[in-house]
Amino acid sequence: MQQAEPAFLEARGLAKSFGSERVLRGVDFSLQRGERLVLLGPSGCGKTTLLNLVAGMLGADEGELHCEGEVIDDPLRRVHRPMRRRGFAMVFQDFALWPHMTVAENVAFGLEVQGIDRTARRERVREVLRMVQMESFAERRPTQLSGGQQQRVSIARALAVRPRLLLLDEPLSALDARLREELKGELAALLRETGVTAIYVTHDQSEAFTLASRIALMHEGRIEQIGTPEEVYANPATAFVATFLGVSNLIPYARQNGSLLVGGRRTPVPLVTREPDPPREGRLMVRREAVTVGLQGAPVNGAIALEGVCRRKDFLGDRHEAFVEIEEGLILRGFAGPGIEEGTRVEVRFASDAIRFLSEG
Amino acid sequence: MSRRTGSRLPLLVSVALLGVAVAYPLGILLLQSVFPNILGGSFDGFLDAYRRIGETPEMVRLIRNSLAWAGATTVVAWIFGIPCGYLLARTDLPGKLWARLSLLVPIMTPPYIAALSYILLMQSGGFGDALTGGLPEGLRAWFFSFWGVTLVMALSSFGYVALAVEATLSEIPRRFEDAANLLGARWHETLRRILVPLLLPAILNSGLLVFLEALSNFGVPAVLGTRSNLPLLPAEIFYLVTSWPVDLALATSLSSLLCLFALVSLYGSRWLAHAFGGGAYRPGAVAVQRLGRGWVIAGWGFIGGLFVLSSGLPYAAMVLTSMARTWGVGWPGLTLIHYAALFEPGSRGLGAILTSLWLSVVAATLCVVLGSYIAYVNIRSRGWPRNVLEGLATLPRVIPKIVIAVALILAWNAPWVPLDIYNTAFMLLLAYVVIYITDALNYSNATLRGMSENLESAASVLGAGRLTVFVRIVLPRLRPALMAAWLTTFVVCMRELVASLMLLPPGMDTTATYIFNQFEQGDISLAMAMATVTIVISTVVLALFTLRRRVRATG
Repeated sequence: MQQAEPAFLEARGLAKSFGSERVLRGVDFSLQRGERLVLLGPSGCGKTTLLNLVAGMLGADEGELHCEGEVIDDPLRRVHRPMRRRGFAMVFQDFALWPHMTVAENVAFGLEVQGIDRTARRERVREVLRMVQMESFAERRPTQLSGGQQQRVSIARALAVRPRLLLLDEPLSALDARLREELKGELAALLRETGVTAIYVTHDQSEAFTLASRIALMHEGRIEQIGTPEEVYANPATAFVATFLGVSNLIPYARQNGSLLVGGRRTPVPLVTREPDPPREGRLMVRREAVTVGLQGAPVNGAIALEGVCRRKDFLGDRHEAFVEIEEGLILRGFAGPGIEEGTRVEVRFASDAIRFLSEG
Repeated sequence: MSRRTGSRLPLLVSVALLGVAVAYPLGILLLQSVFPNILGGSFDGFLDAYRRIGETPEMVRLIRNSLAWAGATTVVAWIFGIPCGYLLARTDLPGKLWARLSLLVPIMTPPYIAALSYILLMQSGGFGDALTGGLPEGLRAWFFSFWGVTLVMALSSFGYVALAVEATLSEIPRRFEDAANLLGARWHETLRRILVPLLLPAILNSGLLVFLEALSNFGVPAVLGTRSNLPLLPAEIFYLVTSWPVDLALATSLSSLLCLFALVSLYGSRWLAHAFGGGAYRPGAVAVQRLGRGWVIAGWGFIGGLFVLSSGLPYAAMVLTSMARTWGVGWPGLTLIHYAALFEPGSRGLGAILTSLWLSVVAATLCVVLGSYIAYVNIRSRGWPRNVLEGLATLPRVIPKIVIAVALILAWNAPWVPLDIYNTAFMLLLAYVVIYITDALNYSNATLRGMSENLESAASVLGAGRLTVFVRIVLPRLRPALMAAWLTTFVVCMRELVASLMLLPPGMDTTATYIFNQFEQGDISLAMAMATVTIVISTVVLALFTLRRRVRATG
């Protein structure tokens, strides 16, 4: 990647195994100062391991990690800078607040070991506690706080030392759904306001969309795609990304002259695409929200229509979702129009420019 | 709330039971110490005994000695135990199973047997001399002094510290340390600010256990303290009650003071743990430190050395003495005649074994039955009687055994007691139950606390009565705890010394009193043969039960 400014953090070919299990299989990414990178993926994809490598809790088996031009991890050159000298801070999933210290003492700890004097310390503690709206809880013990409050304190503790890089390991996943929603927005605002460079690990796409300036989608020890939230949502590079983000329909196809043959029965549909040269065959993706399911009738202009039978209809709150069987083993999901019931013959319609071609099968 | 609030009878029965067994004797003891003539029906001489203690320099020194000795024992036990706990919890030391076993052996060995064995080892003309061709007199003098007695007591109790520290250290999540390290803390800052405060409750609680054990232990002071010119409270109280001239006023007031010290140290250590450390947290994965070769050797040297001192040497001395044919210079010839004499039909030795066995079996059974019932009643009820019950039930845990023994003598020898159980074996049975019921109760408590009341409600909803619920639902869940409680009680009853010495009718022996009496004024080889037999019986019983449980768990 060519950039005017050298990257703040750069990882090249990071690999890590636990025993015979290869958890990271060569990870490259770079991070600019002030960026908020979200590592997004299902459990077991290696995102937490990658975060722990960056933090310095683990050392890489292969690859290098640079921060501000300095090597901080490189097994070949036997460099592994201990985590306490990296100048990073971390927010843990289980908060990891020290139970024997008050909220203020927890937050002050990092400043204290940095040798910052008492008055400056007290001032900074008050400041960060105000930022997370926990000022009035300064003398409480962590055990007297709710989960959400504990996580606020944990964020304050990490921000207090003004870290070069803030690492967040699924910080909201231990909280209940409503609290998670509330804290997500606050945390996003806080990270933007402080301008802190951050890496955020989660398996929740809505957190990723809210918090990220860029998202790295991880799958089986690799980064499959990296880009802004809008980019990765609109143009997923792989089937994994397409299905992990949002609800998508994947349809096998083959290309023949000017048209596409979709599904096992090779139903021909016209090929209209912005992409210069889609693969000859593979799978195409259509988002659920681009699909409407209606009663059979005259085809709408510019739209692709496939016939099928509605097998299931779910109420989503603001509308209905229909599962339509186009053929044996191929079920498409879309939003149902009026008059659709389970068992009715229906037509699935989507605009041809809603189609994305996936690079792998 | 629940259908149980209707009947308070079980609760009141439990309170009455513990009241008669525990509160009444201790109340009499306290009264007697304050009014020396109360048993004669007079309130004369109010606080006389306490005044006498304050005015006698020897008494003041005795109390100071006792506290200093218990304190020193605790500190030495910490020095031995904390590194062991760390090695077991936080390093990859090989052979941890063996290390843990080596810690259990001294815990399982009665301190008075260890003390007796150490006398055989260190006395002039003992094994130490035979082995080295003459121990340095300086070492011998050091051993038969304050620090030698401290060492023996600490060796038999440092295992508690090691196991408590290990348990806590292997639960403090590594996240706590990671968070500190990431913020830039050096290892000693993490140790001082994070690990030590979180470990403090375990250190203080195990220290308290050692302190109370040392403060109230009778065997070591009686056996070793008297030979080391180190008078200690429990032994002095014993002689005040059992030797002429009997001074009940002084004995009871010293006993009350002993209780006071025990209670003060209990609440003191609780306060300390609360003020300087602790806080609840969910256990998590810990960081395990890789040890280099040198550290492995050093670690095993430490644990192995402690094992040799705490178990190896005393056990060798005990077994060798039990098999010694003759006493003279050099190694004695070996023989089994002492064991034969022990098991000879109609002999005092066999009588003592049988008495101990039936007393221990009955006491353990009573403790478990009453203890689990009281625990159940306690946990499923609310209101003030419950608090009274809880308070009563914890008392015997803190009150030294010697004090309970003195209290029981006063209570059941009093003129108004119609039952004539004093001077019978039932007196001792009562003492065992009073002393050990708390432990049995706690075993049940631990299980019951973790057991949802809904399990019982589910059965009640289906129409089961209270008895059915207890027998079909509660008891099966309690069984492992009850088994463990029975075993522990059996083992500790088998070795109980001080209450047995004070309460057994003349002409009757338990294994412990037999060992003590034979050692002091009889055949030392017979004493050690009996000690070996006692330990073998306890170990076999424990091993059988453990084996059975393992078979059941795997099969």
